[in-house]
Amino acid sequence: MEKENKVLPYLMMLPSILLMSLVVIYPIIMGVITSFQQQESGGYGFENYRYFFENDYHTTGIWYTLKIVVITVVAAIAISYLLAIFLRFSNTPISRLMGKLYILPRFIPALVAVNGMITVIRDSGLINRISQVFGYNLHLNMMYDEKGIILMNLWFNIPFATMMISAALSAINDSEVEAMRDVSASKTMIFTNLILPLTYRDVFVAATFIFMSNISSFTTPYLMGATYPKMMGVTLFDLYNNFHYGRAAALSVIMFLFSSVAASIYIYINMRKDKWEVGR
Amino acid sequence: MKLQVKNVEKLYGNGDGIRDINLDIEEGELLTLLGPSGCGKSTILRTLGGFISIDKGQILIDGKEVHNLPPEKRSTAMVFQSYNLWPHMTIFENLAFGLKIKKVPKAEMSKRIENMLKLVGMIDHIKKYPTQLSGGQQQRIAIARALLLEPTVLLLDEPFSALDAKIRVQMREELKQIQQSLNMTVVFVTHDQEEAMAVSDRIVVMNKGVIEQIGSPTEIYDNPTTRYVATFIGEMNFLKNTDGTTLAVRPEDVVINADNADTSIEGIIKTIMILGHYTSISMEVGDTTVHAYVPRLKANKFSINDKVSISFIKYYTYN
Ligand SMILES: Nc1ncnc2c1ncn2[C@@H]1O[C@H](COP(=O)(O)OP(=O)(O)OP(=O)(O)O)[C@@H](O)[C@H]1O
Ligand SMILES: [Mg+2]
Repeated sequence: MEKENKVLPYLMMLPSILLMSLVVIYPIIMGVITSFQQQESGGYGFENYRYFFENDYHTTGIWYTLKIVVITVVAAIAISYLLAIFLRFSNTPISRLMGKLYILPRFIPALVAVNGMITVIRDSGLINRISQVFGYNLHLNMMYDEKGIILMNLWFNIPFATMMISAALSAINDSEVEAMRDVSASKTMIFTNLILPLTYRDVFVAATFIFMSNISSFTTPYLMGATYPKMMGVTLFDLYNNFHYGRAAALSVIMFLFSSVAASIYIYINMRKDKWEVGR
Repeated sequence: MKLQVKNVEKLYGNGDGIRDINLDIEEGELLTLLGPSGCGKSTILRTLGGFISIDKGQILIDGKEVHNLPPEKRSTAMVFQSYNLWPHMTIFENLAFGLKIKKVPKAEMSKRIENMLKLVGMIDHIKKYPTQLSGGQQQRIAIARALLLEPTVLLLDEPFSALDAKIRVQMREELKQIQQSLNMTVVFVTHDQEEAMAVSDRIVVMNKGVIEQIGSPTEIYDNPTTRYVATFIGEMNFLKNTDGTTLAVRPEDVVINADNADTSIEGIIKTIMILGHYTSISMEVGDTTVHAYVPRLKANKFSINDKVSISFIKYYTYN
């Protein structure tokens, strides 16, 4: 009887373990193997990796990707933090309305949103035409440029980050804030001494999520980005289309490594408990 | 006059709130707001602390208008009904935060915190976090935190509600002592009439957002001006008069006489309970029950189902 009980849980997990191995672990292993297969000189080696780091075109692309992602993370978190604080602590009709609406962008399919944004910001787009009504001819110069991509990334990531930070803020009691005001703490002090320490973890988690989902983004840079430099997701697509499977695999591994840096930060933050949280 | 409240009104969107609030609180006075849940006690306290704005009227501290000032600019300190210790700070840090803002020197700060923690019996917990304390202990820390700021007016919203009966009695005695030794002005909220009677200089009895009566505990007990106050404070028997008014009498003011005595009210004894030095006797009078507290020796001559007649030492009539 006892022996059965020990085996049974593993038996029940077997189907999902098999499925996981088949669709996740196997492709990853194959991908890593492929990335070391040398097309030109044969055998196994770092040829495919060297290709990316010895080629200005590609190093630029990698730096370009990192730059866009970092700007996206910082801007999205900053804006979302402010928005979430506004939604949590302001009790006006406007804040209540915004509290209902801010999540809407999440419900618009990515392609539709990107196309919509293009028709608004392109040089012959809506904003340009509105400016013409007032006698200007405003060119935003956002298309085929990192500005457009970042704007689009913010559209996708602000609602998500706001939602996460809002959840953390809702755990702060009104009376905890009021007690700080009661002892004459300024707004800045309330932020640094109460709000920040109670929410920084969720802010970091949101940041790592945004980083991971944007490092490999494709749709936005493909539709809005320039022909040079390209974000890594678009380069990957090009490599596949040109049958450079070894290089594509190597680039995937590089992207995976970037993500795993963020993932380890995420895991570290989640594992780490502050002393005051024990027993909470 | 330390604190004056003049014609204050605060109504929430749904029509609940407080109206026509007038209070004059002397320096060093402990004033209690007493009333059932939802009658507006916390609302009054929060207007005094500056956490909600008022729709009408004035609030003055030391003769100066404060009702437009935010909490950080008022010399009040509040202990909230819910626990409001900062969870990520130790007990020491919780107490130190306000003193740091006041720029109290480090050595003095530690000394004051330690003394205060000794006063509330929590010195052993100085390094703990709020979640490592029981509800009652957290409330003591919250009180200590407010006291440390030496406010000119201390606002306490049901500070003892999480404590068990014994510590509660102990804590309110301590509070009274601290309040008297510091000559602090305190507005204290409770829905426990016994607690109100025990600690207050004056009691404000509230009903659905308005003040029903203000007076010293004895005044409120001996002369409840409305039927509502009579119901709320102490025990009271109510009897319908033939003219439609209600007669109210306290159990200790009911005198039980052997039958045939010359009173108009007759009853039949239903229960006799010995409660220490006095006896509680309940009687059926018409279609209501009347309770009487009788000294134990006098109660000895009665037994269940005796027919008796009753008279009152003192009674009140309400419409
Ligand atoms: N922010 C608010 N919005 C709307 N109504 C409110 C608000 N705060 C309190 N009320 C209402 O105002 C009335 C008075 O509330 P208050 O908190 O002052 O009562 P209380 O006497 O302190 O009750 P308790 O003993 O339960 O703490 C209640 O009917 C309550 O529902
Ligand atoms: Mg209350």
